[in-house]
Amino acid sequence: MNPVALQGIKLTRQFGGFFALRDVDISIPAGEIRGLIGPNGAGKSTLIDVLSGRSTRSQGSVLMDGQEIHQCTPQERRRLGLARSFQRTSIFTTRTVRDQLELASHWKNDDNVQEVMDHLDLKQHQNQVANHLSYGHQRRLDLALALIGKPQVLLLDEPAAGLTMQESLRLAQLLRDLVKRWQITVLLVEHDMDVVFTVCDRITVLNLGEVLMEGTVDEVRSSSLVISAYLGRNAA
Amino acid sequence: MSIQSSMKTTLICVLALSSMIGGILVPFLPIGPVNLTLITQGTFTAIMATSVGLLIHQCGLISFGHATFFGLGAYITALLLKNTTLHFTLIVALAIGLPTLFGFLMALVVVRQTGVAFSMLTLAVAQVFHEVILKWRNLAGGDDGMSVQLPKILLGFDSLIFQTASTMFSISWCLLTAILLGLYLFNQSRWGRLVFAIRDNEERVRFLGHDTLLLRAFVFSLSSAIGALGGVLFLLYNAYVSPELLHWTYSGFALVMAIVGGAEFVLGPALGAMVFLFTKDAMGDITEHWQAIMGVTLIVITVWRPAGLAGIAETQFKKFKWGRRDVQ
Repeated sequence: MNPVALQGIKLTRQFGGFFALRDVDISIPAGEIRGLIGPNGAGKSTLIDVLSGRSTRSQGSVLMDGQEIHQCTPQERRRLGLARSFQRTSIFTTRTVRDQLELASHWKNDDNVQEVMDHLDLKQHQNQVANHLSYGHQRRLDLALALIGKPQVLLLDEPAAGLTMQESLRLAQLLRDLVKRWQITVLLVEHDMDVVFTVCDRITVLNLGEVLMEGTVDEVRSSSLVISAYLGRNAA
Repeated sequence: MSIQSSMKTTLICVLALSSMIGGILVPFLPIGPVNLTLITQGTFTAIMATSVGLLIHQCGLISFGHATFFGLGAYITALLLKNTTLHFTLIVALAIGLPTLFGFLMALVVVRQTGVAFSMLTLAVAQVFHEVILKWRNLAGGDDGMSVQLPKILLGFDSLIFQTASTMFSISWCLLTAILLGLYLFNQSRWGRLVFAIRDNEERVRFLGHDTLLLRAFVFSLSSAIGALGGVLFLLYNAYVSPELLHWTYSGFALVMAIVGGAEFVLGPALGAMVFLFTKDAMGDITEHWQAIMGVTLIVITVWRPAGLAGIAETQFKKFKWGRRDVQ
């Protein structure tokens, strides 16, 4: 088994008396695509926020390659190789595709701007201003920004949100290719179960801020706990 | 850098050089001593407005306290000239360097805020300095201000060149042009583009691995340095400084100049300062209520042309260039 790339131990995020996360343990081996699913309000985005440093944890630890990183700022985590995308497209709308990818590569000399543009089919749009792109390409640009500098770990918060089924499946295929090519570890939050079941090696299911179960795609699909809490009968 | 943008940069550099040469020739034109004095004072104010505009343009921050840096530049020069025998170069370096350092340290706290909170923090800091200078009569003459006698020789020249409108205009005009050129080049650089990206989407920039706080603090201290330089030039020309220069209303005027001129353009605030001063002078001859007229002008420009005078000029230029009437 590959060494653990990203680990959250007993992660708790509390807002007053409400626990958005409670004692969540998650451990993702290097090179794995881990799905993170659960009903709305389960704590999926909060977990990504805590792991990426966007939100502070109330308790628990975050480790990357065995090194504690929960004291690090988001920018320090990024420089260590932990990148993320956002649920709402977070790009620089008035800048061209190339310009913002170059800005993203600013702190790193061995930038892979060209490579990322090639893989994400952004090359032909490189001189276009971002707000003139289609929504699908804006989502790709969001992903491209996270991929600059070849991060070790990529946290994706609903990258297929708002995409057509065809676009979603194409994105899934793209993710698979990238992980293979660059040996990236991915934690993927996604509501589109076709995407999750197509690309993920294993899946963690959250419910009400706690881990409901973790297992392979088949184990999760057939779990009565998950079916009753989230998937429903049709998914099994 | 593309060929087109490097050609544009070369053209801007040539225009800046031409502007400097033009500035040196202006005193030879028959514009009269009053107008020459007015445009000389205008260049100091233009430098101040540029420092305020830089923050709006680059960081989207509205400072109500930039008079602090202009005033500190002037007061530090005055105090050091009066009380020490330091070399003039060192005095100027300290008069610009100390406010810049203070600006950087202040920025590490205030640029964490945006919007009203940022404006109020800058206003508060400015008023602290204003009150200190106002009340500390032994140090800086309090409400009366302080006048200084420049040494006879400064930098190998007769110090009169700093106090004569014709020569001082050329000096301050060239410095203003150099500042505008420098800011244009900074905006084109990767760091400049990164600062714009922070203005547009700071969170994303952080998650790309950049320290946004330091970059914003850098821009704030750069604008402090420009403001302080304006203050130094003001002091050298007028040989007098008063607490009014530190008052928040002075920051407010600079803000109005930047907005009227067009803070989205490097040139805008300086243009706004010149227009503001000439309008004030012309209106002052007609009525003592010139501030009301300026207020109405500000409202009209803000509503009708938020990009300011520079924005209007750009639109007209594009219409002329493309021969189209549908340019917005």
